[in-house]
Amino acid sequence: MSKNKKTWKNPLANWGVKGGNYEVSTPPYKDPHEVWKKTISYKVPITKIGRFHYEYKSSNHGNKIWNRLRWWPTRRTILSTKGVYNRKSLKAEKIRRDKRPIFWFLGLLFLAIAPFILPEGNKTSLLTAGGIFGIYASINLCWTLIIGTAGIFSLATYAIVGISGFFTCWLSINLGLAWWTLPFIGMFIGLIFGIVIALPALRLDGFYYGLLTLGLNELCRVFITTSKAFGSASGGLFGADTFINQDWTPLTQTYASYYSAFFLLIAALFLFRFIDGKRLGRILKMAQEKKESFAEASGVDYKRARVTVFLISSIALGFIGGFYAAYYRGVAFNLFDFHTVIMGLAMITIGGIGRAEGAVVGTLIIVILDRVLVELGPMRYIIIGTLMMFTILFLRNGLFGIRKQFKEWRDKKKNEARSTRVERGGEMLPEQSTEVDDKGEVYRKRFDKMQREFLKTLICEDIINEHKNKPLGQHSEALERVLYYFRRAGMNDKYVVKCEEPFQKYKIMALSGVRGRSPRLVEDKIYETVNAAYHGLFLRRVQDLMEA
Amino acid sequence: MNDIFFLFLNGLTVACIYGLVAVAVSITWSALGLLNLSYGFIFSFAGYGAWLAERHLWGEPIFVLFMGIAAGILGGVIVCLLIFIPVHDKPNFTLRGMIGTIAVSLIGGQVLLQFFGPKAKLLPEFFGYSKIKILDVVITADKIGIIFSSIIMLTLVVKWMKSSRRGLEIRAMMMNPHAAAIVGIGVRKTGLYVMAVTGAMTGLSAVLLSQTYYLSPFSGLTPMIKGVSIALMGGLGSVRGAVIAAIILGFNEALTTKFIGGRYVLMTQFLLIIIVLLIKPRGIAGILDKAREG
Repeated sequence: MSKNKKTWKNPLANWGVKGGNYEVSTPPYKDPHEVWKKTISYKVPITKIGRFHYEYKSSNHGNKIWNRLRWWPTRRTILSTKGVYNRKSLKAEKIRRDKRPIFWFLGLLFLAIAPFILPEGNKTSLLTAGGIFGIYASINLCWTLIIGTAGIFSLATYAIVGISGFFTCWLSINLGLAWWTLPFIGMFIGLIFGIVIALPALRLDGFYYGLLTLGLNELCRVFITTSKAFGSASGGLFGADTFINQDWTPLTQTYASYYSAFFLLIAALFLFRFIDGKRLGRILKMAQEKKESFAEASGVDYKRARVTVFLISSIALGFIGGFYAAYYRGVAFNLFDFHTVIMGLAMITIGGIGRAEGAVVGTLIIVILDRVLVELGPMRYIIIGTLMMFTILFLRNGLFGIRKQFKEWRDKKKNEARSTRVERGGEMLPEQSTEVDDKGEVYRKRFDKMQREFLKTLICEDIINEHKNKPLGQHSEALERVLYYFRRAGMNDKYVVKCEEPFQKYKIMALSGVRGRSPRLVEDKIYETVNAAYHGLFLRRVQDLMEA
Repeated sequence: MNDIFFLFLNGLTVACIYGLVAVAVSITWSALGLLNLSYGFIFSFAGYGAWLAERHLWGEPIFVLFMGIAAGILGGVIVCLLIFIPVHDKPNFTLRGMIGTIAVSLIGGQVLLQFFGPKAKLLPEFFGYSKIKILDVVITADKIGIIFSSIIMLTLVVKWMKSSRRGLEIRAMMMNPHAAAIVGIGVRKTGLYVMAVTGAMTGLSAVLLSQTYYLSPFSGLTPMIKGVSIALMGGLGSVRGAVIAAIILGFNEALTTKFIGGRYVLMTQFLLIIIVLLIKPRGIAGILDKAREG
């Protein structure tokens, strides 16, 4: 007997056990705790894992979960909430699925009360800038509908506003139309102009159309600036009827113009909501760029939807044009300048193309830079240009795309770190395990892996011989550990012995683990005795263990 | 008849200048997939480069001309370094690249305004003041010079693209950017070449135009928009299409001025462009049908 072999004596041998196995050689005792100690020992630098939830969660009560406020008269809830259970304490909690309405409400509330809380000294200039902001944000919302929702890359947005403004202004001066008719006439003009420039959009795609509309913008500029009827001498057309009464005090006039622009912005937001968020918007979200054929195959007439959105936006832009004429008592030529197009592009790019909040916040930033910080001089255009450059170089979709981009970047970094980590604590990676709710499963897998590693060290000729001699009954400690593990395995793919003919033919099968699904035959080998079959099954399991 | 010939010559002169910008826009789009709207800035940049060279280095017209071209090359390379190289491999490149070039032209125009002031500058007459009379039409030297120098420039660029190794690389990028990258044509290096060559063409058009018109920080805008329109009509990516479109639009300009009135030039021009694009959405040549879309 060699040094690393040990003899195991069957404790039942004294009473005479059927089938022998009184004394077998067996591997020496190994401490099963060693694997555990090795596993938990400190080998690699440990980094903190998991996520911290910054999100505020209010407490909830199971009975109150359906008790929600709704927008009268719809069934729409005011804030989309969701009941969840805290992973640690299992307490019921409520989270807001979409927090944007809160920020919209706060932002618009600020704009609504701004005239009363702004500092007295430069209130007038700030409110004037606020009026400009309201008009430009409305224009940019309509533009976002065209570029983002309809996916038509048009740069002639300001041209529509300008044409409508000039025509309504001209009509007001020459026919003496009242101010309240101007936006409605503007809608008509916007529709006609929209139809004219929507025609090429049916044929051209993407940037070809963008360049064409850039040229159209220039065409409008040259046409308007060179025609005598539109006041080519005075730099614009002025003298339209306005809703701001000149007899009011200057402060009242400022308030009136500010609030009218504010309500225009609210109206534009509603328009955006009801086009982007309803049927047309959903149709067009299905027909994204390069997925048009899929949408078409699904029976979606996306071209019609695009043109519809374009025309509705054009009507809205015409309305804004008429409003503009009534607001400023006229229109200046610089509405057609390439510079205006650049500023508009800066507004929607910085915020993020295709989102209402992007258009509004981008406009706010640019208007603050352009109209409030006037003392910076030409420097402010360099700042705006630099902001644009920064957005283009580093952000995928403007300010409001940062969140998504950051999440993607974080996941990418996480995966990189995951792939460089060779050391594994268990079957599950640390990052994965934070995302599994049943932590018992994490521990089970970890324990299972350690146990298999330990059992692998026990497998040797001795215990295989021992099993061959006597598959059932009392065994040495090493073999018994291995057998316990095998027997405790899950039902799927568990090997069983099938008796074809008693005492003559036995086969090995594997259970499916699914109720009602029959076991499958794993090999055609026929064992003559049940003990041989037991041993064959044991060898299969040992092989699976060693290979895993 | 002579009247029309004279007007056509005028149109051709202008078309030559704008055609250079158009071919530049075209090549940049087809080779790099970049819609470069900063040619207006490169135009003014090159003009000011030539003006500085004339002021501070040497007043010889030919030298000034070449310095303008050199400044154009520099401007093109600056745009390439600022926009094309950082953004070309990022998602949504076409839109971001276009807006980026607009941002460059915004910043560049303001910087030029800061340095040189809003006052217009004039470059010297490069080709003297002599006149030639052909068929009762007096042709001034600058017209002949403009036509010939742009044709020479264009020929050189086309020859270079057809016969040199770099030109081969650029043409490979035009045909299939992915395959070109796979066979080892560096996107960034080729981008630099393309932007340098197109910058040179814009620089030439800048010095040619600034001797008759004037030079100001934003004077490049009209040539750029006209160039873009010509490139659009000719079909983005096609030099031949751009040349044909430039000639057609030059002729249109002459005829419109003669029969309808100078005010309506842009209207007829855009009508023409829209009609052409409605018939053939990829312009006159349209050879690159869908090649740059994938």
